[in-house]
Amino acid sequence: MAASDDLKENDVLLELEDVHMFFGKVCALAGVNLKIRKGEIHSVIGPNGAGKTVMMNIINGLYTPQKGNIYYKQRNINKHRPFQRAELGIARTFQKVEVFGGMTVLDNIRLGRHIHLKSGIISGSIYVGKTAQEEIEHRTFIEEEIIDLLEIEHIRHKPVGMLPYGLQKRVELGRALALDPELLILDEPLAGLNLEEVEDMARFVIDINEEERWKVTCILVEHDMGVVMDLSDHVFVLNFGNMIIDGTPGEVQNHPEVIKAYLGEEDLYATRR
Amino acid sequence: MSTTWLPCGTYHQNYVHDHAWWQTKFIKAKMILLLIILFVIIPLVADSYGLSILNLVGYTILGAIGVQLLIGFCGQITLGHAAFIAVGAYTSTLLILEFPWPKILMDWGLAYPISILIAAIVSGAWSVLFGLPCARVKGFYLILTTMAAQFITVDFIITGYVSQIGGRGQAFSLPPGTIKIGPWVIDSDLKVYFVMLVLVIVCVIGVLNLIRSRVGRAWIAIRDNDISAEVMGINVIKYKLLAFYVAGFIGGVAGAFWISNLAAISPEHFPWFWSLWLVGVILIGGVGSIHGTIFGSVFMVVVMEMLQLAVIPLADIYPKLLVDFLFIKEAVFGLAICVFMIFEPNGLAYRWWQMKNYFNLWPFSY
Repeated sequence: MAASDDLKENDVLLELEDVHMFFGKVCALAGVNLKIRKGEIHSVIGPNGAGKTVMMNIINGLYTPQKGNIYYKQRNINKHRPFQRAELGIARTFQKVEVFGGMTVLDNIRLGRHIHLKSGIISGSIYVGKTAQEEIEHRTFIEEEIIDLLEIEHIRHKPVGMLPYGLQKRVELGRALALDPELLILDEPLAGLNLEEVEDMARFVIDINEEERWKVTCILVEHDMGVVMDLSDHVFVLNFGNMIIDGTPGEVQNHPEVIKAYLGEEDLYATRR
Repeated sequence: MSTTWLPCGTYHQNYVHDHAWWQTKFIKAKMILLLIILFVIIPLVADSYGLSILNLVGYTILGAIGVQLLIGFCGQITLGHAAFIAVGAYTSTLLILEFPWPKILMDWGLAYPISILIAAIVSGAWSVLFGLPCARVKGFYLILTTMAAQFITVDFIITGYVSQIGGRGQAFSLPPGTIKIGPWVIDSDLKVYFVMLVLVIVCVIGVLNLIRSRVGRAWIAIRDNDISAEVMGINVIKYKLLAFYVAGFIGGVAGAFWISNLAAISPEHFPWFWSLWLVGVILIGGVGSIHGTIFGSVFMVVVMEMLQLAVIPLADIYPKLLVDFLFIKEAVFGLAICVFMIFEPNGLAYRWWQMKNYFNLWPFSY
């Protein structure tokens, strides 16, 4: 891959090395190699069933690959459980929103702060003093950094389960951001949104990636080719467990196999809404 | 459902205000009035019968909070909570009767308060032991493992072995004057009532605080969606066990409290039906709400007492009612759960919320 050649070692935030994943005899991933550099938006595209979400689940720790290694900051994290990976700074959103429906928007985002909070059972049940102060500090962070960024001030006290889908997606992004992650996995953040919401969400992704405050490295799994090609620094194309190409959007668009496997004969932008 | 409606023109100026429990002066006044009613007016006006019913309500609340925590907040269905109440009661009783307390602690009347604390800790540890399967199983399977807790603890260990300690046979009698807090001997319904009030208020406040801080949010997250909870950095197994611990702890407090109201305890005080009863209480009160637990406890105890009052005069006409009273009680319990599940699945807490909103928003409907 032309793009990977000029890579310095400590630029790499996450590396998948020869990852294999089988479900019974079905091969979901067959030897995937992927390097994600600090500060980039790296998209993963591919037809339905290509193994994109499986790959995200592996990065995230929900699945353990049968073969291969995952390195995060040059550290092997094969054995880390999902919550330990979250503590390392890997956050994610899900394809189908997996918010905590019974909690308010604010509580959902507060929950994202979990790894940064310290109070336990005893200080929590007394509340006055340490816990109260901690809650106020983190509330300030949530209000000023996240709720303000995502423009969800008006719904902060509403239970998430009662919100429309687009807002739920936004809350889910907010919850992932509250973790203060270094690597953010966005699993189809635009699926099922209308044009205006897509534009908003794309803007948020750019903000999170480029703003000095955040500088979060993003892995973007998406079907909306227009957005993928516009936002990404690199695009990784997956077809039924096999990598086709990992390169810049320009390289990907002109790759004959990609056109055959995924984009089709028609215009690349045909899928754009 | 916990939003407080602020009166027109009142706004939160800072986060401290927004995080407060009692957000307006009016609510504060109402709560202080409630405390005055509980601590001053009820003891003045209630007779011994009324107080004993209130004590039963308090006991039910203490027991049901633990169940509410597990089912309503952490999503771990339990049908063996009476076991942990029994562990608390027996630990406390054994400590009082058998433990060689230093004289100074006896003189200061600290034996019973300390035994409540130890009973709670032991009962929490016992609860964690039977909560361990929750690392592997969910839902219906967890119900079975918690039922195992009930049968192993009460029917096997307590009946078979613990009750034999001291050679008294099946029941441990608590001689008058053994239950003492400070200078007060807990020997009347009124004194039990005050102990109950303090314990219920402390436990309710503790649990409410937990629910609005880090640990409680983690529990609610596990209830709503355990996979994404784990992805957000929550050690799911640890927090599930923590929920079992806190539930067992409060169960232990309930058991240790209840011996102050009894002359003797025996395994029959903690049947499996009592575990089921506590689940019924939270279903009727409202799953996932602490004041629902309180409403449910009041409702169930009061309904059962009314039933008793109704049956006694009718027994003159139809004596079999009295003989079969236990069956009637259980039938009414089942019926109440059915009726609530069909007509108000969110429980009494939701009705309360609706009523409050109606009056807060009056004369408009929104």
